Amino acid sequence: MKSPDLSVQLAPQNSRGLRLANPVTTASGTFGYGAEYAEVIDVQRLGAIICKGITLKPRHGNPQPRLVETVGGVLNSIGMENIGVDSLIREKAPTWAGWSVPVIVNVLGQSTEEYAELARLLDGVTGVSGIEVNISCPNVSAGGMEFGASPEAAAEATDAVKANTTLPVIVKLSPNVTDIAEIACAVVEAGADALSLINTLKGMSIDLASRRPALGNTGGGLSGPAIKPIALHMVYQVAQAVEVPIMGCGGISTASDALEFIFAGASAVQVGTATFTNPRATLDILEGIKRFMEKESVHQLSEIIGAAK
Amino acid sequence: MKQVNATVVSNHELWPGAYLLWAQAPEIAALARPGQYAMVRCGEGHDMPLRRPLSVHRTSLDGNVAFLFAVVGRGTEWLAQRKKGDPLDLFGPLGNGFDIYPSSRKLLLIAGGIGIAPLVALAEQAVATGCSVTLMIGDRTATRIYPDRLLPSGIKTVVATEDGSLGMKGMVTDLLPKFIPEADQVFACGPLRMYQRMAQMSSELRDKPTQVLLEVVLGCGVGACLGCTIETRHGQSLVCKDGPVFELSDIVWDKAVAPPAGRRYLRK
Ligand SMILES: Cc1cc2nc3c(=O)[nH]c(=O)nc-3n(C[C@H](O)[C@H](O)[C@H](O)COP(=O)(O)OP(=O)(O)OC[C@H]3O[C@@H](n4cnc5c(N)ncnc54)[C@H](O)[C@@H]3O)c2cc1C
Ligand SMILES: Cc1cc2nc3c(=O)[nH]c(=O)nc-3n(C[C@H](O)[C@H](O)[C@H](O)COP(=O)(O)O)c2cc1C
Repeated sequence: MKSPDLSVQLAPQNSRGLRLANPVTTASGTFGYGAEYAEVIDVQRLGAIICKGITLKPRHGNPQPRLVETVGGVLNSIGMENIGVDSLIREKAPTWAGWSVPVIVNVLGQSTEEYAELARLLDGVTGVSGIEVNISCPNVSAGGMEFGASPEAAAEATDAVKANTTLPVIVKLSPNVTDIAEIACAVVEAGADALSLINTLKGMSIDLASRRPALGNTGGGLSGPAIKPIALHMVYQVAQAVEVPIMGCGGISTASDALEFIFAGASAVQVGTATFTNPRATLDILEGIKRFMEKESVHQLSEIIGAAK
Repeated sequence: MKQVNATVVSNHELWPGAYLLWAQAPEIAALARPGQYAMVRCGEGHDMPLRRPLSVHRTSLDGNVAFLFAVVGRGTEWLAQRKKGDPLDLFGPLGNGFDIYPSSRKLLLIAGGIGIAPLVALAEQAVATGCSVTLMIGDRTATRIYPDRLLPSGIKTVVATEDGSLGMKGMVTDLLPKFIPEADQVFACGPLRMYQRMAQMSSELRDKPTQVLLEVVLGCGVGACLGCTIETRHGQSLVCKDGPVFELSDIVWDKAVAPPAGRRYLRK
């Protein structure tokens, strides 16, 4: 049998399109700006790289401690520390321009205008293949999750980005909502080319010695294997509700995890926390998916996307 | 940096609650410098998503690397149970390591508790390059002091115990006014409060070039997750990549916080 076709088109409705050679990508905030792991794995073999969330101005982030391990999970309260969009365009994009792997920039605004401005600034930048709109960060006081919590605000942020770029736009949804499918429908209506879900779930941990919250910012976002069943269910629900491609994310650590998300309706997966546990996780997952397809005589990934519906 | 499938060569309790583990990992042994660390994967599967950072304690010419670690929680508990022949997933070497200035001839090394771990590698390197080394070791009691027979020969050791059961009674930091003046360069590894005490010493002592190894919870080890950012006098730094070794005078000590004690609080 000839080797299976793992490629996916994430933005079929967009004139520029977003074709990935395979469905395995890196979740924003867990893979830096792409080059940090270049010494450890061949990053060109990834389906796409989604870089650390970026804001208009550089941000310092939250006080230490920023990470706490829980059983099968990690709480983080990084607080969107980032170099700002100008430095990103000046210092990071030129490197990406020389890569074959598409790089998607995760953006966070504090207002609709900021989302619009970020989209405008990134629009013509060589090396940038798409925008992931973060309306789901639990670690900032303004913006982020505020936008992800109501269908109207989520649609507004999406609309602001879409109106200012021809780049494919993926909207990243928060699980900290009552009805994620409702938000999904609202952002698709507003023009999202694709969706990614989920961002982290709000959580906390308390340090016995100090009797204080273990994270410097009190609460944080939970990621890792502990959230996988929740993420999977949300992907399944959203896949029934919308027609656009979905990137599944949340606790994906192995090829079996990734395949579950694909069966649930995801066209691609994002691997986050698992890269900390196993820096080779993305490539191991890619190999595993390929092996599965060979074994089960699946010629094209599209044959199994949403198989569980 | 490499992700290496290493094999445990030996693992035994050096004193109650502290283990010396040797692993075969030629790729790491060949590259590691004193003060660098490896991220050690602990547990089976993914129940412990974060690797544990452990300093390179020693390396051998035949490709082995040693870690010296205190059992304080889930990860180190698991690690203490590893036996000869067991596989061990290591990611390293990572971080900047200590920097002995070319002009430094007399070095003072200060170990608080398990902080001895990276300083043994440093002492070995210093002796090999012809520096004279004074190593101060401090802990609660005599049974927790790193055994003399395992230290490189040709160094001078000074011991302090809080209960006076070995060496001087008190804290190593109490001895610093006596020893710092004659050193060209100082290196320290210990708990945060030891560094904070050092940062409060008289300016004459503080002005001696002093490098310290900082502990913060690390996520990725390569500067990708920004979980370990701290404030320095030159702006923000990543402990995992720019550190873990910093100049004492560069750190904003009143903003520094120790990693949460977590479960270990109940074991005391
Ligand atoms: C650069 C560096 C080098 C180190 N070298 C050594 C060494 O050579 N020997 C040694 O005994 N210890 C060393 N430590 C501390 C060691 O990493 C922790 O004791 C260990 O991670 C505790 O894991 P645990 O699962 O047993 O404890 P838990 O408390 O159950 O760990 C929970 C989480 O907190 C993290 N954590 C807990 N304590 C610390 C700490 N002090 N520093 C950083 N992360 C922590 C763990 O890695 C884990 O993610 C070093 C730390 C750093 C940052
Ligand atoms: C340390 C850390 C930083 C993160 N930073 C961002 C970010 O900047 N933007 C974003 O949209 N999501 C961010 N996330 C969320 C991840 O992209 C992902 O949605 C989440 O971690 C769930 O996936 P996982 O379980 O595979 O890690 C971050 C997660 C972690 C653990």
